[in-house]
Amino acid sequence: MSLIIDIIHDFFPAAVAAIGFGAVSDPSPRSLLPIGLLGGTGHLARYLLMTFLDADIVTATLGGSLLIGFLTLLLAARVHQPLSCLYIPALLPMVPGKYAYKSVYSLILFVQSTHSSDEHFRYMMAFMSNATITFMVIAMLAAGATLPYFLYRDRSFSMTRQRHPKKQ
Amino acid sequence: MSLSHLKIDNSPKSPFYDFIAEYVSYMLACGVHTARVISCATRICEANDLRMRLMTTSRSVVLSITDTDGNCETRVMAIENQAPSFRVNALLSRLSWQAYDEGLRLDELRREFQRIKASPRFPFPWVLTLVSIANACFCCLFGGDFMSCMVVAVATLAGFWLKRTLTSHGISRYIVFVLSSFTSSLIASVSILLNCNADIAIATSVLFLIPGVVLISGMVDTADGHILVGVSRLIDASLLILCIAIGLAFTLLLVKNSLIY
Repeated sequence: MSLIIDIIHDFFPAAVAAIGFGAVSDPSPRSLLPIGLLGGTGHLARYLLMTFLDADIVTATLGGSLLIGFLTLLLAARVHQPLSCLYIPALLPMVPGKYAYKSVYSLILFVQSTHSSDEHFRYMMAFMSNATITFMVIAMLAAGATLPYFLYRDRSFSMTRQRHPKKQ
Repeated sequence: MSLSHLKIDNSPKSPFYDFIAEYVSYMLACGVHTARVISCATRICEANDLRMRLMTTSRSVVLSITDTDGNCETRVMAIENQAPSFRVNALLSRLSWQAYDEGLRLDELRREFQRIKASPRFPFPWVLTLVSIANACFCCLFGGDFMSCMVVAVATLAGFWLKRTLTSHGISRYIVFVLSSFTSSLIASVSILLNCNADIAIATSVLFLIPGVVLISGMVDTADGHILVGVSRLIDASLLILCIAIGLAFTLLLVKNSLIY
């Protein structure tokens, strides 16, 4: 029961977040539901990988973004939208905001702790570690979601085609 | 839109070349990654027995179009600074397929292109509401309690409204991002007084500013071999992220003694 609540608690906020962030970039109204589904599913996949397989955040993010990438291939064909219009907003709930915040915070404390070499070093280490994780997670988001585009390049360019060709 | 011509031969197809140049520059301005732009423009050209090559930088695009007789014309177009649009991306891509499958004439292509350009964006009040709810949900995902989610929603509302207002006054994007980030995070720091998850609220309050489209398009372009425009886009996104961090840093400097590291 608690697992179901956890799943709901993870899926729905991520789905709403994906739709909201998608709205910033002027989406087609018909793409909002698929964006929500993809955002929720990707984030839930990452949560499950981290909870049940003890995966680290970078590996789990790669898993979540790969799932988003492949599901986008299926959904984009149904709503006749380019892949990037669906997977970009769906990835945003997985942006490592906490790590990015800690990087900035550590950097400020690092700059202001020149009087103590111990603290100076500790904040530098904290900055390096948080910034590295932030960068790695963002890189995995892009790598995972765009892999299907590179694998099925021709197919991904024909998602917006709405009728069978006369030519060829 | 500024258009400078470098015409080697003033052929009867010149208006068509002008259309292709405008189509390509508008698509790039909407944040579409380069391979898709090339694919769509090439499709329209192939439907009209033309061959196209293009080179793009972050601010301009150079097109060279050749007809079956070997006559070549070149167009240089500026890429305007405008907000990304998924809807325009989809509609322009669909237009290229219509040109290919249904053999649309130039006047039909132009009419449809102007209709797409003139079509209204997603309504701003809806965007404002959805973004605020989205960022509140983001706060919830990071473990924020109900009160911090509410604070984040209000902070996002203010920050996003400020971003749009400043942008409409033609202020530099970098200043807009610093000020929006500072305003959102400063309002989110009210959560310190309300005894809720202040660090989570401040961290999530600025995330609506992340330039996701530019970042991902830059990575796709770079991985796809369009290194010049890809790296330009990545540098552009990095500068915007730096601006977000500067705005957030100003707030943290003000409230850091009240936060637990």
